[in-house]
Amino acid sequence: MPHTKSSRFARELRQSVLLTPSLLLLVVFFIVPIILTVYYSFTNLALTGANAKNFHFVGLYNYQTIFSDPKMWQSIKATLIFLFGSLAGQSILGFFIAYFMKKKNRVFRSVVGPCILAGWVMPEIVVALCCFAFYDTMGTANAFLSLFHIAPIPWLYKHPMLTVVLANIWHGTAFSMLTYQSALDNVSEDIEEAALVDGASRRQTLVKIILPCIKETIATNTMLNTLQTLGVFSLIWAMTGGGPGTATMTMPIYMYNQGLKNYQLGQGTAIGMILLLIGALCSIIYMYLLKPEKA
Amino acid sequence: MKAKTVTTLQYVTLTAIAIAFVLPLLWLLFAACDGNANQALKIPHIWTVKNFKSVFSSARNVRGFGVGLVISVTQSAIVVLCSGLAAYPLSRYDLRFKKAFMFSILFMTALPMIAVIVPVYKMYLTIHLLDSIWGLVLYLAATALPYAIWLMKNFMDGVPIELEEAARIEGASTLQIIEKVIFPLMLPGICVTFIFTFSGSWGNFFVPYILLSSQKKLPASVLLYQYFGQHGEIAYGPLAAFSLAYALPSVLFYILSQKFMSKGFTLSGASKG
Amino acid sequence: MKKLLLLVVASIFAMGQTFAQGTQEQTPQKPTITVCYRDAGLGEQETMYKWIKSAYDKWDKKDQVNLDIAPITASEGDYFTKIALQLADSKTCPDLVDEDTFQLPNDVEAGYLSNLDDLVKTYDDWQNGKYYGTMKQVVTYKGSVYGIPYCTDTRGLWYDRQILQDAGVIKAGEEWQPASWADVFSACEKVKANRPDVVPFWCNVGVATGEATSMQTYEMLLYGTGERLLDQNGKWIVSSKGMRDTLQFLQDVYVNKGYGPSLDLVLNGQAANTAFRQYFPAHKLAIALDGCWKCGNWKATGPAPVADYEHIFGFAKMPTQTGNNGGSITLSGGNAFSIPENADQKQWAFEFLKQLMDPEGGYLDSIIAQGNICTRTDILDVPQYANQPYFRLATKLLETAAFRPQNDQYPSVSTCIQTMVESVVSGTSIQDAIDQYGKDVTRIVGASNVVSLT
Repeated sequence: MPHTKSSRFARELRQSVLLTPSLLLLVVFFIVPIILTVYYSFTNLALTGANAKNFHFVGLYNYQTIFSDPKMWQSIKATLIFLFGSLAGQSILGFFIAYFMKKKNRVFRSVVGPCILAGWVMPEIVVALCCFAFYDTMGTANAFLSLFHIAPIPWLYKHPMLTVVLANIWHGTAFSMLTYQSALDNVSEDIEEAALVDGASRRQTLVKIILPCIKETIATNTMLNTLQTLGVFSLIWAMTGGGPGTATMTMPIYMYNQGLKNYQLGQGTAIGMILLLIGALCSIIYMYLLKPEKA
Repeated sequence: MKAKTVTTLQYVTLTAIAIAFVLPLLWLLFAACDGNANQALKIPHIWTVKNFKSVFSSARNVRGFGVGLVISVTQSAIVVLCSGLAAYPLSRYDLRFKKAFMFSILFMTALPMIAVIVPVYKMYLTIHLLDSIWGLVLYLAATALPYAIWLMKNFMDGVPIELEEAARIEGASTLQIIEKVIFPLMLPGICVTFIFTFSGSWGNFFVPYILLSSQKKLPASVLLYQYFGQHGEIAYGPLAAFSLAYALPSVLFYILSQKFMSKGFTLSGASKG
Repeated sequence: MKKLLLLVVASIFAMGQTFAQGTQEQTPQKPTITVCYRDAGLGEQETMYKWIKSAYDKWDKKDQVNLDIAPITASEGDYFTKIALQLADSKTCPDLVDEDTFQLPNDVEAGYLSNLDDLVKTYDDWQNGKYYGTMKQVVTYKGSVYGIPYCTDTRGLWYDRQILQDAGVIKAGEEWQPASWADVFSACEKVKANRPDVVPFWCNVGVATGEATSMQTYEMLLYGTGERLLDQNGKWIVSSKGMRDTLQFLQDVYVNKGYGPSLDLVLNGQAANTAFRQYFPAHKLAIALDGCWKCGNWKATGPAPVADYEHIFGFAKMPTQTGNNGGSITLSGGNAFSIPENADQKQWAFEFLKQLMDPEGGYLDSIIAQGNICTRTDILDVPQYANQPYFRLATKLLETAAFRPQNDQYPSVSTCIQTMVESVVSGTSIQDAIDQYGKDVTRIVGASNVVSLT
């Protein structure tokens, strides 16, 4: 049968029919809102007031005002601190837990594993509640400190960013742990043993042999955590509401405050747009990293 | 340092970390059973089920759980169905646009969908889909779809094609093949997808908060936030009991799927938290 | 397998429909009016709930109409957001909505509220002077009526008599009346010295307490310096001595001199309730700057009853900064019931509204339970109402009360005020907070509508 262009096209069309329900959902509820986000970000749409009824196209006005607003830079800074804090904590902790757990007693592993996992399995808002109580002035963290005669610290008001980062680390470490566990399992034991026999110290083995072996996992894991952390909203909002002041106002919270609290929907979507672009950038980097070993 | 010392140190460190991780959760458990719970971790003087009783005797709470389960289960079922169907052509056929499509899908999984909540609200306003459970389910399904498609395609790639060929020779249609041959073999993958999707929507409080307004339609996640949002006047005991009950489906599903989870964590099936 | 899945989805859908619709006790023919207000967490114990329910029960037309009480459970700040989200949609729109009067211009401009001119023409009480003129003004925007006011209020300083006596601020049997901000501070200092176990001063300063922060705290102080939010030309003032002095007062209370409660108590949605329902009854608070209706908490029917409260607590006028400009200042606001433009039962809603506002229909009991000041002239002399403790003073304050600007940008600017106040008590420098406020307001109203005084 001649494989003409049109018959191939017809065949592919026929074969793709099963994609239709998904495509429909994706276009209507995913793509269209994104296009609308772009559109609204160039208007002065508001939730109430005169601009709710008759909003106008304002061109780049929203973007200009956002970038000249110190709050925007504060929120970018807060987002970056939150991101790096979470990444560092989750990855390093996750890796070392996985690394230390190798070849340990099975019963021990089956107890420690679930302890770490428990934080991950909990829904975000339960995590917020547990950490809210934990870091409360009369909570467990301060009770622990009092054993060492350290005065209670109002964590959520004196060190809000640290507290939410700790909460996010508690929530997300398990994922990194599991990823590194399976990556480490794939590292051949022989290489490690050979190195030790040759006189390498444990640290040298770790740095020069093991880490390079799993560097793809490190990259992928970091990227995935980044993408997930960018969208964190409920955790911070429930714990501190973005405050005190603007101390923990990451970009999603800034977007909510501008768009919904302050009724300036046009501005809110402009910030949402920027958030999307950052997500897109990270996603492209991620795909580039994943390319060599494309599934 | 001697190997033995190192190992002991590792055991100690792990134990300390495990304890640190379990403390907040321990508080949750104790506070839920405590007649006089507060923020501190303490062994209850009075062990009680009063908190659970007060939570579940409220019709509003029970309805919240019911609605939440309906939303999440319906959404997950839709997602599994659509992504399963979509995965077939992506996995089996040689389509020219496949690479581009998969890249787009991957790209979409990365976008923080919270950024588009305002247009979604406006869109729903226009088509009168606000305060509708179905509207909410469809939106949650759409946002969970990219990742589900990615997962299902990868799982399907792992199902050998020979069995299908045998069935095709006997005259089975594509849909029949999917239903009778592939899905049974892909059961672990289906479970993983279902559970990830379920956890995502079960834990989502922001989207229902914006898209729904009738108190009767609010799922448990929003109710929890409402109680929690009272801050200064929190009744920690009932709140902890509510949270525990609310976290239960997530925990149960996770335990049920333990076997299947491990397959999802190698690089090729790279998954998201 | 797929058939099974479809079956599961179908049955869930069916279940879902039942859940989603909820149980509707109404018969299909009768119309339903939906009433919406803010539930602060008390559910059926809320004063508003009790009022609406009892008014409906006593209504002679209740057989013709069903009632759906649909409050929004949220902090004050979130309530306005959610209301705005709901009013836009004809499907989710209530028939009667509790509006804080400062929101009226904004919501009218957005097209969310019905013009009530035609309906009030047939409302005898409105036409026959049973409502205060000033109250009618507050709900009138651009010449038309957009709501029926049901309460108004004034603000001042609540204090615990015993604590102030112990601290040597007043003698037994005396009323405390500070004449300036300095007097207030000196009282706080004495309390701190002699009663270190209590919190000397409490006022709303969080974003979470929303409009309470703007009105009960910031504006009470700013207006006391002689300034207002807008200058004579209608421009928003974004930098001035009055602003700096106001923020200094707050920073002194919360940061420098330690007169205030710890931030975790005050930067959340329940701050005022914590003060009035916990701290005052437990005698752990000396002075609080808040509204006159707060005493409703202590009534026997209230959420935190205190026996003999009129002798335990006192209410004083909030002084101006230096004692000039009349010596004291209060802001007055109020709430009204409005009928949204997208409501489907406007006629019935207005009928029920008349019932709600009828003194016999439940208004008298409710206004007393709320602890607010009434908007009807025929209630003023009813002994039950007039003899309430503090009411003579609180109502007298109305004579010199100031109002918030009737400007549709006010709600947005108010959120900027709240952010400014919260930053300052959390440690941000006053100049930085003012700069940020200037930028925020400029962005909302445009550069041509702002002015800096100093």
